[in-house]
This record gives sequence, C-alpha cells and structure tokens, in this order.
Amino acid sequence: MSITAIIFVLLLLAAYSYFIKRQKVYALYRTQSIKKSKIKQTLPKYFGYVAALWSLVPALLVLIVIQIIDEPLVKSSLADYIQSEKIVIGDAADDFDLYMNEIKNMSIDELESADPEKIKVFNQYQKFQSISNYAMTIIVLAMAILMTAFGMKKVKINTPARVIFEKFIEIILLLAASIAVLTTVGIVLSVLFESIRFFGEIPFTDFMFGLEWSPQTAIRSDQVGSSSAFGAVPLFVGTMLISLVALFIAVPLGLMSAIFLSEYASSRFRSIAKPVLEILAGIPTVVYGFFAALTVAPFIRDLGESLGMSVASESALAAGLVMGIMIIPFVSSLSDDVLSAVPTAMREGSLGLGATQSETIVKVLIPAALPGIVGGVLLAASRAIGETMIVVMAAGLAANLTVNPLQAVTTVTVQIVTLLTGDQEFDSAKTLAAFALGLMLFVTTLILNVIALHVVRKYREEYE
Amino acid sequence: MNKVTQKVEKGLKKRYMKEKIFKACGLVSIGFAFMFLLLLLTDITIKAWPAFVQTQIELKLDLSEENLGLNAKSAQEEIKQADFRAVIRSALKKQFPDVKKRKDRKELYSLVSFGAEYQLRDLVMDNPNLIGTRSSIKLIADDDVDAVVKGTINRNDDESNRRVKNLKLSLIEGLEENNQISKQFNWTFFSSGDSREPELAGIKGAIMGSLYTILVTLLLSFPVAVAAAIYLEEFAPKNRFIDLIEININNLAAVPSIVFGLLGLAVFINFFSMPRSAPLVGGIVLSLMTLPTIIIASRSAIKAVPPSLREAALGLGASKMQTVFHHVFPAALPGILTGTIIGMAQALGETAPLLMIGMVAFIVDIPQSIGDPSTVLPIQVFLWADSPERGFLEKTSAAILVLIGFLIIMNAVAIYLRKKFEKKW
Amino acid sequence: MNTQTMKENINLTNMKEKSIAEIHAEHKQTIGEPFCDNVKFSTRNVDVFYADNQAIYDVSLDIGKNEVIALIGPSGCGKSTFLRCLNRMNDTIDICKVTGDLELDGTNIYSKNQDPVLLRARVGMVFQKPNPFPKSIYDNVAYGPRIHGLTKNKAELDELVEDSLRKAGLFEEVKDRLNSPGTGLSGGQQQRLCIARTIAVQPEVILMDEPASALDPIATAKIEELISDLSKNYTIVIVTHSMQQAARVSQRTAYFHLGKLIEVGETNQIFTHPRHELTERYITGRFG
Repeated sequence: MSITAIIFVLLLLAAYSYFIKRQKVYALYRTQSIKKSKIKQTLPKYFGYVAALWSLVPALLVLIVIQIIDEPLVKSSLADYIQSEKIVIGDAADDFDLYMNEIKNMSIDELESADPEKIKVFNQYQKFQSISNYAMTIIVLAMAILMTAFGMKKVKINTPARVIFEKFIEIILLLAASIAVLTTVGIVLSVLFESIRFFGEIPFTDFMFGLEWSPQTAIRSDQVGSSSAFGAVPLFVGTMLISLVALFIAVPLGLMSAIFLSEYASSRFRSIAKPVLEILAGIPTVVYGFFAALTVAPFIRDLGESLGMSVASESALAAGLVMGIMIIPFVSSLSDDVLSAVPTAMREGSLGLGATQSETIVKVLIPAALPGIVGGVLLAASRAIGETMIVVMAAGLAANLTVNPLQAVTTVTVQIVTLLTGDQEFDSAKTLAAFALGLMLFVTTLILNVIALHVVRKYREEYE
Repeated sequence: MNKVTQKVEKGLKKRYMKEKIFKACGLVSIGFAFMFLLLLLTDITIKAWPAFVQTQIELKLDLSEENLGLNAKSAQEEIKQADFRAVIRSALKKQFPDVKKRKDRKELYSLVSFGAEYQLRDLVMDNPNLIGTRSSIKLIADDDVDAVVKGTINRNDDESNRRVKNLKLSLIEGLEENNQISKQFNWTFFSSGDSREPELAGIKGAIMGSLYTILVTLLLSFPVAVAAAIYLEEFAPKNRFIDLIEININNLAAVPSIVFGLLGLAVFINFFSMPRSAPLVGGIVLSLMTLPTIIIASRSAIKAVPPSLREAALGLGASKMQTVFHHVFPAALPGILTGTIIGMAQALGETAPLLMIGMVAFIVDIPQSIGDPSTVLPIQVFLWADSPERGFLEKTSAAILVLIGFLIIMNAVAIYLRKKFEKKW
Repeated sequence: MNTQTMKENINLTNMKEKSIAEIHAEHKQTIGEPFCDNVKFSTRNVDVFYADNQAIYDVSLDIGKNEVIALIGPSGCGKSTFLRCLNRMNDTIDICKVTGDLELDGTNIYSKNQDPVLLRARVGMVFQKPNPFPKSIYDNVAYGPRIHGLTKNKAELDELVEDSLRKAGLFEEVKDRLNSPGTGLSGGQQQRLCIARTIAVQPEVILMDEPASALDPIATAKIEELISDLSKNYTIVIVTHSMQQAARVSQRTAYFHLGKLIEVGETNQIFTHPRHELTERYITGRFG
C-alpha cells in the first residue's frame, strides 16, 4: 500500500474512534442523569478527540520510524545479497551509494540494455522493496487497530479527557516552536559535515590563510588538493571591502534619515516618508542587482573614466553603493527604534539647558543610544556580508586581492553561488568548498547577530 | 542683560548655522534614498515599456492542400507533422524575389521568429478550415525586427556598429512600406514559458512556479509559525530550552538567506533525495526562512491582546487552551495575517536560496504541480539579466515590473488588513 | 473624564456644600495680589491649548526678582504646563499652543524674534525625575557651559564646574569621582547634579517641576535647603504637590485649579488665611 493510502486508512480509523466514543459518552451522560446534580462535565467531544488520538498517533509514529529505517535496511540487505552472490559492482566500496542510485533509478526500458548482473540486482532490489512495503503496511495497520481498541477501552467516563487533549495540543505547539532550534541544528550540521569533508582534502590553514583562490583549475584531477587554489583570503577581503562601502553609505544616511524623521519632520511628512522607505526595503535584491549591474556600474565606470581613473565595470564601489542603499531602510528603522527608546526626560534635560535640537541629538541622544546604534550597525554588517544577489549580479568572479574599491573583487556569497550552480558532482572539492565558505559565512553572521541582539536587548532593558 | 546672556548670544549665530546644516543633512539623506528609489523605478519602467508591445509581420500564406499535404479532414496528428516552415519561407521568397544568395536568404527567413511556424501550426490546428485557403496571417517578428521597429536599434547608425545589417534593414523597410508590420499588446509575454528567443519568452512559467512555491511556503509556515508564537507567548515556561528557542528565532531572522539554500541542498536534496528544481523544496526552504518573521509578528500581535480579555474568559471557567483558541487567537488574527503577508512578500522576492536548490534551470514548460521542475519570478529576472541578447533587457525589466506589482498588491492588502482590523484596546 | 469623576466624588462627600466644579465654573477673577513690584517675569492672559483641549485659562501672574514662588494645586491643574510656558519647553510638543503675553524683563518671550535657545539659557529648568545624561558627573555639569561657549579654557571650565557643584552642595560628595557616570549616583544626588547642571549655565530664573517628588525625605530636605540658598541669587519658580514644601521654601504661593489661577498671595497668608473657598478646601486637605 502506498503511504498516502495508509495515512488515509489511519484517518478513517481516527474518525471512527471519534464518533463512536463521543456517542458513547453522550449516551452515558443521558442515562446517568448527572445533569441534575449540576456538576460541570467534560464535553463528549473531548473523549472523542482522545480516542481518535489513540488510534492515530502511535501508528503514525511507527510509520515515521519505519520510513526512516526502511532505506538503510533495504540497502544493507542488498549489500549482503551482492556479497553472497559475488557480484562485482565497482572498484571501491564508496561507489556503492552511486551504484544504489543507478539501481534505484533504473526503469523498465533500461532493463533490456543493462547487463544481466545488474538486472539480477535490480530484481532483488524490487523484491526487497515489496517485502518492506508489505511489512510496513501490516505493522502500521495492526498497530492502528490495536491502539484503536485499546483507546476505546482506556478512555472511560472518568478520564480527564480535556486535560489530556490539551496537553497533547501543547506538545504539538512546543514542537512547532522547536523547529527554530531544529533549523539551526540542520544548518550547522549540513555546513559542518560537508566542511569537514572539505578540510579533509584541503588543510584548514591553507583555506583560511591562502592568498590565491582559483577553484576552476582544481577540477582537474591532477590538481585536486593543490594547496594554492583554495585560499579564501581574497574572498574575505572582497566581502569586507564591499560591505564596508555599503556600511559607509548606509550608516550615515540611515542614521540621519531616522534622526530627521523622528526629530524634525512633521507628522505629515513622516506619514509619507516611512512607507516610501518601506518600499525601498521591500524591493527584491535581484532588482537591486539588475540595477547595479546595468545602470549604476556603467555610470560609475564612465564617471571614473571621464575623471581619468580606470574603473572596473564590475567595481566593488558599484555593488557596495547599491547594497548600501538597500540597507538604508534597515539602519533607519533600527536607529528609529533605538532613538525613540531614549527617555524624553533626557531630551528635555538638554533642551531645558538651552541646547539646540542638533546639540541635543549629537551630544545627548546619540551617546545615550550608542549601544543600540552599534547593535544596529552590526546587524546591518551581517546583512551586507550575507547579501547575495547584488554581488552575484554586479560584483566580479575573479578573486583579486585588493582593497581598491574601483577594482573588481569577488565575495564569499558570489563564490558559493558559482560553485553550486551548474552541474557538478556533489563530492568534488569544488562543491565542498562552497559549504566551507557557507560555514564561514554562517559563523561570522552568527557572531555578529548574537553580539548585536545581546547589545540591543541590554540597551532596551536599561531604559525600561 | 547680564554678561552670561551676552556670551550666549555671541555664539548663537554659529550654533544656529550648525543646526541648519545638521537638519539639511537629514533632509538630504532622506532625499537621497527617495531619489534613488525614483531613479530605479523610472529606469526600470522605461526599459520595460517596449516589452509589453509585440511586433508582428503580416504575410500572405498559401495554405493550399497540396502545399501542406493536408486536406480538410486531416487528423490533428497529421497537421502537427505538416511543414509550416516551408509555407512561411515560400511566402517570404515570393514577396522578395530579388533575394537570391544563400546567405541573404537566411537573413530573409530570419525576419519572422523561429517560433512563427509553431504559432501558425497551432492556428491551423484550431481552425482546420484554413486549410486550402490563401490567408493573410500575422506572425511574430524576430527580436531584431522588433528592435528596429521599436527604435531600440538606431537605423541611422553606421552599418558596422549596427546589429541589423543594411540588407535586413531594407527588407524590414520593404515590409513597412507595404503596411505589413504591426504592433499589438504582447500576450505572448504573459502566456508562455521561458525561451531562448526573446520574442517568444514569457513569464507564465515563472509566475506559476512562484505561485506553487509561495503556496507551499504559506501552507507550511503559517500553521507552524502561529503554533510557535502561541506557545511562546501563552504557554512557554521560563527555562533554558525556551530561552534557546527565543535566541534561535531572533538569530535565524538575521541569518543570510543563502545559508538556508545550503541547508536545502544538503538536507532536502542530498539527504532526503527530494526532486531538484521543484517548488516543493523551494517552498520548504523559504518557509524555514520566513518562519522567524511570521513568528515575531504573530507574537507581537498576540502580546497586543489585552490581559483583560484573557482574564474574562478564564474567569468564566474556560481552560487556558480554550481561552487562547477562542479569544486570544481570533483577536490577534489580523496582526498575524499582516505579518504572514509581509513574510510571503519577502519569500516571493527571494532569489539566493532557490539558486542553491537548482531552481535556476532553463525550463520552457509551465509547471503543473509542486513536484515539477520550475523557476520563479526573481530567478527568471536573474536568468534574463544574464542573457547576452539585447531583447532580453526589456523582458527583464518587464518581469521586474510584474514582480514589484505583485509585491505592491501584497503589501497593500497587508496595510488594508492592518487599517481595517486595527483595534484600540 | 477626570472632571466628571472628580465632580461625582465631591458631590457624594460634600452634599450640602457647593460642589467644587460649581465653584470652579463660577470663578472669574484671580483673588489676591498676582502683580508685584520689581518684576522679573510678567504673564498676562495666558491660555494654553493641547490640540482642542484648553489646559490653562486666562492666567495673569507676576514673578518678582529673586523671589521664590510656589505653584500648588491638585494634579492636572495646569501648574506644570504653566511652568513649561516660562521657558518655552512646550515648544517640543507639536500640538501645544500658547497665547497671551509672557514677558521676561519686559521682552515678550513668545515673539518671533525671541530665540528659545537663548531663553532657556536664561531660564533654566529642573525636572520632576532626575535626568542626568549618561555621561560623567563632570561632563554633565560642563555640558551647558560647553554648548554655550561660556568658558575660554579648561581651567575656567573646571572652576565653573566645581563652583556649580559646590553651590548645589554636591561637591564634597563627588569630588573624588568626577569622571564616574552621573547615572551611578543616588536619586537625591542625581537631582542635585541636575541642579548643578542648571546653575552652571548661570541662568537668571530657575524653574523647578516638583524637584523632590521622586526623592526620599532626607534627600528632599537637602534639596529644600539648597533652594533656600539659591534664592539669594536666583528667581525660582517651583511647582510642588507638597504644601509643607511650599510653606518652607517660598515667599509667595499661587494656587491653580483645573487650569485657572484661583488665588495668589504671601505664602503665610495663603496657608493660614486662604481667601478663596477652593484654596481653603485644598489646604485643609478635603481634596487633592
């Protein structure tokens, strides 16, 4: 039976349990005439729910467990079979996964052309498949029927049905909340696992401190592991350069916008300006990338040329400039929050001494809000470092080690994208390098975020 | 006035100057952001405009029975096999008998689009009574012709700098004199999938792909996010695990989106062997990415529900769960929906993580389900922006306009919801 | 709404007497001597509006040179609002509108030519809650002189800071830690720091908005002592909700009620022989 069919049967069983139990409790209530004593009763439907949970949940859990162990089980039985039949599959044991994939993806048409040994394995595979499917169907359905019967007996009129049901819902809610943790664990595991494989081939120090990055040449088998090819320093420097240009634009402009909006602008101006900034924040990054690559970069190049400077057409300046503008609303809204958290008493204290508004802002508000602003800047830096589309479209591919913003540099995110798009073998050092870069990116932004969030929270608590 | 006052007064002019400069700096900052937005939107709109118009060439086609090898009773299958290319070419040859050289002929044939024969085939399949007639039919023009007609390629440029050479230009002008060239609204752009030919490329495939992806994202992230938000606001005890969850949510909101793409690639595609390039995986990845956004918005919406409402329900003997689901959740729903729509808008514009899971492939077919390989609007923009053909520039801009249009609609709905259901507690 | 509940409360407790609201409604003319000789500040027919709500009704009051005048009254009576008019702190509230004549040394402080910054340098203010800047003690006091450019060099500034701290009676307590943050002081010390900060600008008038309301009795006593000292050199307008405080520190007292100035007079006279019924009821603690 297919999994969908099994789940459907389970749902039918659950519905059956629900209605039967509810009816029973209804009937009991009526005959026992508890009503007269005016004792508040648990509604019959809760008994139905609990009964339905009994028939559904254990069977579903069993189904999931079987699904997880099914594949390795089939694989190991097949491996045993291959060994016992002495079929030669390849030169090494690590090709077994590949071989399994081939077997799995064989279709009926291919069978005619495939070699007889493969066909033998394929048939055996199908046999195992169907056995495991039978086993699964029987176990799950048996479990479901058993538990339905058990639930019918177990749920009695004095069972605290509502409490049990609500506890169950609470657990479901908790599981939903835990997904955030699971996601983080998933991210860490997926980048860490592949990175460890990568560092098995390329030494960690070569990656961290190497000055040359040319993964393309390393595809050739004679060059795999050549230590000079995976030095990530040019990428780190390039990322930093573009992020710095972006922050150089975004922080002053964002901060000044926030100050103007919260301290000077009339409420009418504010009511127009804030949504406009929100639009700026809502424009997809791919649009910024397009604009940077096709409009801003040529403009900057031409401008540079007219001033007698040589500017690369994929200059770090163009990408950084557009990225900076993208981050303005982000910085502005963070600073706005932070500035408005400074107590009015502080403002009045300064104004009451005869300070002008700008003196109050520069000498009192900003120093008071500094931790919050720093936190905001760190978050903005984290965004700039992790920003992908603008740099993929407007920054270069070649890894130049330079701090001149007029030249083309490449970034960590650009390299991740170029290494992973297109059809490469998943196991090559080249694709694994992308995960190592991903790990660096994740760790860097994680540190920035944690510090920033901590600083901002501390700051808020101070004024609350 | 005393001495101090005089001293203060002396410095005042300078201080007010500074004040003015400071204020002007603020205004300039905002003005800069506005200018940029205006520039960006006008630039893209101007570039996009021609994409909504399609150039067509009207040709007198000889659809006689012997020419096509068909008759009025031919089955659809037979019509599909017929050689419509020859029909179009002979019509062109007939109109320009002077073009003799093989190379020149090639130029002549490339006046109409590569897809014109399929356009003609579909037309005949829909109207079999065309067979045996001679009819004037409008065919899609090649992108070069399109560019010349729209003026994107300047006819007065020197031939060496011009993509369309003199011969072809004279052919186009010949057609123009005969009033055979017409322009109409570009339905192709909205009704077909991607193509290597700019004049045949459309965004329907990308729109459908985006739709499926967003649907998966919504179905996954909304219930999970709401459940998580309710748990954290209403039920969570104060302990380390809950702290861990909170830190994780806040941090995930700031993790670069491309990292989620790596997660999708490593976990869903390599480990769980889910289909590459499919909206299903894209939706899962995007839902993980938007979860924190929706959770944070939902939490603040739940927080805004006044305690008095909870107390009222609890005071009547409702259980905590009943209080939450009967009273708090409905009251917080508008805020939650607003947050969800904003999260969906964010997901709709997201590109990087989808690149990682292979939604960047060239896909002509329009996806029919969440398991079909497909691409999404932002990635279509990315793909076209990378194309060397000039004709794709306007398509890219037009696709951006469509994308921004969708985003504006979603945000407008969110604002409407917020305004309509805004309650003053 | 406030008026409503207040009216009801009063009606319930004082059925036989005239209700407070009635008396308030009947009141037209300030009783006592709102005007004096040797005027520093003169206000005539002041009305204050918050958007459409009137907060001050037709208040006329003179404030003499080097006198301490206390503004008292039940909460929400407009005394703080009136105080904030005197150095145009109300400018910071967008919806607030002030009409009438307010003159400092004969010049209208609300005229177009009057600069609020200069005005606030001349009319300093101490707020209800101590609000030191998150800077060092020294920088807190030096803030005003620095922005106004009152001193020529570091030595002069040091001297001014020390002098101000001394006048505020704080110097001995903090002289060893001038560079530690002002927010680390106790509440009473913070408030004296704020006073030191204000006198460092050497204003002519000091406005105090319930300066001791957030402090414990010992700190309050120190502040009151300080006010008495300061009154030799400064004109002080103090808003207070404590009648004892008003009696202790001020020479004249003005009683406000729901935005109207009910009665003004010598402090002694106000507290021993109030002339207006509302004043009497307030003094005797029948509402507040």
